[in-house]
Amino acid sequence: MAAEPIVQVRELSKIYRQGDLDVVALNGVSIDIFPREFVALMGPSGSGKSTLLHIVAGIDRATRGTVLVQGIDVAGLNESQLAEWRNQNVGFVFQTFNLIPVLTARENVELPLLLTRLNGSERRRQVETALQLVGLADRMHHRPDQLSGGQQQRVAIARALVTDPALVVADEPTGNLDAKSAADVLSILQALSRDSGKTVIMVTHDPKAAAYGTRSLHLEKGEIVA
Amino acid sequence: MNILTFIAKNALRNRRRVILTVSSVAVSCGVLVTLQTLQRELTIPPESEAASLRVIARNKVSIAQPLPARQLGVIERIPGIVAVSPFTYFGGLYAEEKATGFAQFGVDPERFRGIMVEGRVVQGAYDDWVADRNSCMVGADTLDRYKLRVGDHMRFTGTFYPMDLDLRIAAVFQGTVDDRGVFFHHKLLDDAMDNGGAVGTWYMRVESAAVAPQVIAAIDRAFENSSAEVRAETERAFQMSFMSMLGDVKSLTLSVSSVVVFTLMLVTVSTMSMAIRERFRELAVLKALGFRRHELFSFILAESFGLAGAGAVLGIFGTWIFWSTVNLQKLTAGFLVYFEVTPRIMAMAGIVAAVLGIVSAMGPALAVARMSVVDGLKTID
Repeated sequence: MAAEPIVQVRELSKIYRQGDLDVVALNGVSIDIFPREFVALMGPSGSGKSTLLHIVAGIDRATRGTVLVQGIDVAGLNESQLAEWRNQNVGFVFQTFNLIPVLTARENVELPLLLTRLNGSERRRQVETALQLVGLADRMHHRPDQLSGGQQQRVAIARALVTDPALVVADEPTGNLDAKSAADVLSILQALSRDSGKTVIMVTHDPKAAAYGTRSLHLEKGEIVA
Repeated sequence: MNILTFIAKNALRNRRRVILTVSSVAVSCGVLVTLQTLQRELTIPPESEAASLRVIARNKVSIAQPLPARQLGVIERIPGIVAVSPFTYFGGLYAEEKATGFAQFGVDPERFRGIMVEGRVVQGAYDDWVADRNSCMVGADTLDRYKLRVGDHMRFTGTFYPMDLDLRIAAVFQGTVDDRGVFFHHKLLDDAMDNGGAVGTWYMRVESAAVAPQVIAAIDRAFENSSAEVRAETERAFQMSFMSMLGDVKSLTLSVSSVVVFTLMLVTVSTMSMAIRERFRELAVLKALGFRRHELFSFILAESFGLAGAGAVLGIFGTWIFWSTVNLQKLTAGFLVYFEVTPRIMAMAGIVAAVLGIVSAMGPALAVARMSVVDGLKTID
């Protein structure tokens, strides 16, 4: 394991305002995550695990504390810089796949590359590589409604990988899948950290899913408990 | 795939809505173009070079009041006037018609020759008309419309005058801005009314457009403080005064056009709002993937602009083709003659549609810009 953490979280707090009430989602969380780790964030609903994932991935802002990803203070980036940073450094996998229904698998995977300077043939090559990695090269011309849930999630993983990010975040990636498809998806995520050198942070309720990771972190009431 | 393909696929994802939206914009643009063309037709009389040299003098009190024929001698002596003829509107109904779409005027054929210089006789002979006081000269459009020939008779029932006319067609003219009129010998009116001393108006041609203002002023001055003061004006101004009798056409068409534009705006705004609201979650995903506000704004704008543009092209060019092929003069019994959809009107409708496309994208685009990725991902499909 490398000495330098890829993600450094220090005294991170997130407080939501709901009407007149302040809801503490995260309360002074500090963690380090190292390259090639596959970290499972576990905890009951409302424990703050998704909030932590969102802040680390740069799609939400903390109320207090710092988050350094590859040495970059994510909170210090403005909206535009943050968007560019996410495009280049973070791959997202969501529970509900979130593929664009009118695009084919190949087009969905290509989406993040439209923001790069790659030309059409370079983009096509990277997309095909990513789809081969998740075992869907033969489904690249299928639209999401022509794919099973497991296949859709694998397309989403290919989309997360296509820009070759250092960090892949997955929010309940198996929540909508049957056991077989879930196992396939988790194996792919595991292989990403083990064989491809990616750092994977996954939110899950499922201890079986967490078992695929190299480490589990448990949150309760916005604090790391184990 | 490139960005344009992505925008096109998004815009066309709901085919039914696209068809309905584009159709709504097309119909609205069509109505807008039609209204503007109607306004133009009713408020801007056709112009010709010869018309700019013609002046009409009428009774200052009202056009319905006749002028004394003795004024002819005075008018003829005014410098700058090349030709002058009595010009009296008959207002008869042709054959069995309840409404006749072309005018009939009593003129002095010999004098009239020097006034309507841009027209040419295409059938029959001008001299034949001059020689036969019971004959007339007819515009080619009217001849064609009623399938008449030289030598046929046209019978008119008087509405203003307590007399009827039975005129043999001696000549057919063409080449004026309005080839519909029928001209006959003023003497018929003089004899029938037994008052050879009255005319409806005086119709004149002046040497040049430059002298027209002086001639008009001289005519007015010549009959100041007489029993029949006149008001002289250019042919164009005279026609405009007729148009004003139709009412405030501009205000009417402007009001209806505003309603059309407002409806068009509601259609495009509601369509774009629905289309974007349905895709909030997807747009949040795009944001997560690294698309920035201005890129999402461009997608929404391009989609809205594209739909409005497609509707505008269909509506504007469809309307242009439609009015170019329909014989409106025949359909409206000669009320509408040219009904020309001009490039200016088409451009105006195109600009309206483009502006609406932009305006309708604003609301959804701002909502997407304000949306946080986390809130967007929570949106239920």
